Amino acid sequence: MSLRVLNPNAEVLNKSAALHMNINAAKGLQDVLKTNLGPKGTIKMLVGGAGDIKLTKDGNTLLKEMQIQNPTAIMIARTAVAQDDTSGDGTTSTVLFIGELMKQSERYIDEGMHPRVLVDGFEIAKRATLEFLEKFKTPVMMGEMPDKEILKMIARTTLRTKLYEALADQLTDIVVNAVLCIHKPDEPIDLFMVEIMHMRHKFDVDTRLVEGLVLDHGSRHPDMKRRAENWFFYSNAEQREKMVAAERHQVDERVKKIIELKNKVCAENDSNFIVINQKGIDPPSLDLLARAGIIALRRAKRRNMERLVLACGGEAVNSVEDLTEECLGWAGLVQEHVLGEEKYTFVENVKNPHSCTILIKGPNDHTIAQIKDAVRDGLRSVKNTIEDEAVVMGAGAFEVAARQHLVNNVKKTVQGRAQLGVEAFADALLVVPKTLAENSGLDTQDVIIALTGEHDRGNIVGLNHHTGEPIDPQMEGIFDNYSVKRQIINSGPVIASQLLLVDEVIRAGRNMRKPS
Amino acid sequence: MREIVTIQVGDFANYIGSHFWNFQDELLGLVEEPHGDPIFKNSSLDMDVLYRAGETQQGLLTYSPRLISIGFKGSLGSLSSSGSLFDNISPYDTTDIVTWTGNVSRCVAEPHKKNLFLQSLCEEDQPKSALYANDPDKQKSSPHNQIQDKDQVECLESGVKFWTDFSKVQYHPRSLYELCGSWTDVQKFDNYGIGKDVLSAGLQIEEMSERLRFFVEECDHIQGIQFIIDDSGGFSSVAAEYLENIADEYANTPVLLYAARDPGAYSFPVSQKESITRVLHDAISFSRLSSLCKLMVPVGLPSLSRSKLSSVLHVDDQKLFHSSAVYAASIHSISIPFRMELPGPTATSAYVSGAVDVGEIIHILAGQARQNMVTILDTAMPAPSLTDEHSQGSIHRNLHPLTPEVEEDDDDLHAVESLIIHGALHSGHHRASVSQVKDSIHASYLGGSQKPMFAHLSIARCPLPIPLPFPSIFGSSVGPHGELSGNQSEGARSRGSLEIDSIPMAARLRSSKAVMPLIEKRLGNLRKYGTARGAPGAELLRSWGFAKDEIEDMGEFLSRLLMVFDSHRDTSSDSD
Repeated sequence: MSLRVLNPNAEVLNKSAALHMNINAAKGLQDVLKTNLGPKGTIKMLVGGAGDIKLTKDGNTLLKEMQIQNPTAIMIARTAVAQDDTSGDGTTSTVLFIGELMKQSERYIDEGMHPRVLVDGFEIAKRATLEFLEKFKTPVMMGEMPDKEILKMIARTTLRTKLYEALADQLTDIVVNAVLCIHKPDEPIDLFMVEIMHMRHKFDVDTRLVEGLVLDHGSRHPDMKRRAENWFFYSNAEQREKMVAAERHQVDERVKKIIELKNKVCAENDSNFIVINQKGIDPPSLDLLARAGIIALRRAKRRNMERLVLACGGEAVNSVEDLTEECLGWAGLVQEHVLGEEKYTFVENVKNPHSCTILIKGPNDHTIAQIKDAVRDGLRSVKNTIEDEAVVMGAGAFEVAARQHLVNNVKKTVQGRAQLGVEAFADALLVVPKTLAENSGLDTQDVIIALTGEHDRGNIVGLNHHTGEPIDPQMEGIFDNYSVKRQIINSGPVIASQLLLVDEVIRAGRNMRKPS
Repeated sequence: MREIVTIQVGDFANYIGSHFWNFQDELLGLVEEPHGDPIFKNSSLDMDVLYRAGETQQGLLTYSPRLISIGFKGSLGSLSSSGSLFDNISPYDTTDIVTWTGNVSRCVAEPHKKNLFLQSLCEEDQPKSALYANDPDKQKSSPHNQIQDKDQVECLESGVKFWTDFSKVQYHPRSLYELCGSWTDVQKFDNYGIGKDVLSAGLQIEEMSERLRFFVEECDHIQGIQFIIDDSGGFSSVAAEYLENIADEYANTPVLLYAARDPGAYSFPVSQKESITRVLHDAISFSRLSSLCKLMVPVGLPSLSRSKLSSVLHVDDQKLFHSSAVYAASIHSISIPFRMELPGPTATSAYVSGAVDVGEIIHILAGQARQNMVTILDTAMPAPSLTDEHSQGSIHRNLHPLTPEVEEDDDDLHAVESLIIHGALHSGHHRASVSQVKDSIHASYLGGSQKPMFAHLSIARCPLPIPLPFPSIFGSSVGPHGELSGNQSEGARSRGSLEIDSIPMAARLRSSKAVMPLIEKRLGNLRKYGTARGAPGAELLRSWGFAKDEIEDMGEFLSRLLMVFDSHRDTSSDSD
């Protein structure tokens, strides 16, 4: 009340109203994202005020598209998006888990329990669940050559929740091969070395892996060749656009040096020569190069300079003085592809690529955007697996197992009312299998009973979303990322606890009870 | 050809840009008009400097601005972010979802209604009107032309909600970029820290750089980047990040930065905390942005209606539509010399004189003597005619600053300026020739009490065309060609595009010590609230992600900006 004296416009929500505002916001957000989860979820088509379309089944994209106003919902959304930033997936699960924790807590709080006690229980349960996860995870040995099968399973699990089965399966191979292509033992994986390029092609949904590079620009001279085999590469990062007459001469000298080298290496055989420059190349230089039969590309992406070296060998040189034959890379085929005003240069048939390009084709921008998001998530899941050296059985198996562990073993060791917090946490874990069942049109009660029954009998099972029967995820090849799961278990209860412990909401200014 | 890429960041920047591109579009249209004024046909202005030619996948040729516009999600109103050129989506068809075989749920936002102006633009594009193209009479009476110009102007006067509401330009699909995922409303997106959060994920800035590279790759010799930023809120950190990338990637491409703010940014702060946030934002934003460009031009007065320009312009400060038009006209004038077409390097033209490129103008203003890179923008809109010296005063005395917080009377002996006059009238509504303007300006430099140390003069004969969606902000003394009649009839309604076809303009970039108060104020605030012992804003700056030494570096940078004036003052007194 003292605040009212200080600021008569300030609005104060008391304890129970504040708590219910938080709980309702969390449940509201959960309701929005609930239908997204799993391979039977609903894809959402968002049409903006100007007719813009966005297609998504990804919680992360959806959250970013939504105009969220409620402060509690924003807090949850930020946590969930941060989840995606760190581990690449699990946004929807995080939101669902937080929502369910709040929903379970509501029951106890309405019966007069203090949120503090629940939060203590959450903390105990969280630690126990993380310990359980360590025991439950399936270790994967990543020696010199990672196990391709397990990587495929994990990529497939992720992709099938974003795209329809046939497309997901096609992308699975692409994604796994792409990561293996750039993977070097004992080095961290830099996913940026996988270029994701798209082409808008009418009536065509086709995605393929190019072992090499696709550049989104072409030569800027009408006389340069469009397609040829056997290429030598020279890429440089220097400035080549001086204009002043005195410097003209210098630039010409540099161009001549390149032409000399070309004549030297390409004299005996039928090879060709290409220059890729990170900076500009002016028309007179282009002209000189074209007359010498050299293809020149200007303004390459900085990252493509790195990728090019990884794909074709050689090295990027900064000045023509350093130019030697050893700096040259090699590619078997280079060709240019023109679509309207968009030009693409394909660099293929390289010797041993450590960089590759995933080329996505789609009939329209929103399809391309959706596939691109899915590919990014798939790449992340493969990378996570290689780095975690472990996976977790999916289809809800982990959640049910952890719940049974909490209820049967952990709860007994807890003194007093914090037990109820553990129980709330355990029940909240079930939100994943429940939602999977609900989205598949199955009866949630039946499913949960069948699953927990199997687990009590000692079998680790997940949900078959077609039949509702328990299945063995190991047999079906349904695996989730270990780091994603750990992150969800870690961050969910933290936010839920913070929201539960709020006892007053104060806002000076606008009315917050106003329906929005 | 020397291309310019334009970048607009922030809502007010897009308002200014929208007017700016309307002028260009009008110029392009007037060249093609069969019975148009020959002055536009022979303007000797090369539009390719700002525009790019391309084609759609269907093979249609396009000519669109070489532009990147960055705004908030939802700030585009009824314009689709993929632009109007490549429009082939059917929003209500869920059958073409090729990536998912399961359930589909649709969330359709309420469509933004197109206003009368945009509706009439749409109708012009309809192929039906082509049927009447050979018969102008029929075209007038056809039902498709029912929307009267007058109604359109009125509808724009009464309600412009988005900058796209009055834009008649077709944008390239890569031009419009929307930032999303900030979850704040526009009112709260008002400080440097918030903008930083939005970009934290990194993918958005990458996409922005990608789009810029697309436009730059096409350029044979890019002469510079024209960057307009709404620096009153979170967009200044977005722009700073962007500029950092540009400085890194295109080190030799000069950036001419207009840091604009709308009158609303000067509204009275409600609390002390807010006022501290605001002054610190100003200081940080100014020092960050100025360190990342070659020439900075702060524009945006707290109130145009109470400025000296108000004698001929009636601007409603509440409307961004109004105030942005004045700034856009001035920026247009400044950009004229960048695209003058000369038959040869030494040849003279009857239409233009004094061509420079972005790099040269930066060199003139900031590269010599005392290298001050914060310049003042002055404008005379409309510029008085050459013979009206007695009633109106010379063009020089009619140039009034659009840069806030500068000294009123400039007695700096070492000022450097670049003056652009285009479409000047000799007397009545006779257009002055290039040499007449030149002589008159030289005379006024000689006769004037204060002379700049160095002045560059650019002249073009082509005036500023007034497109239909230009706000009615001219006083009743302004004639159809921008001539000032002097008989101000009180109470008459202000004039707009219906009454006025074109106006002569003069604009000037001035590097002078009159800009000192602006820098001093920001430096003072940074020291007082940011770095002083127990400063009230120190915590705030930390939350924006600035360490203490970074703030001190910024303070140092600002004081270096001020030092150029002092050091020069000393050396000049020695030489005296």
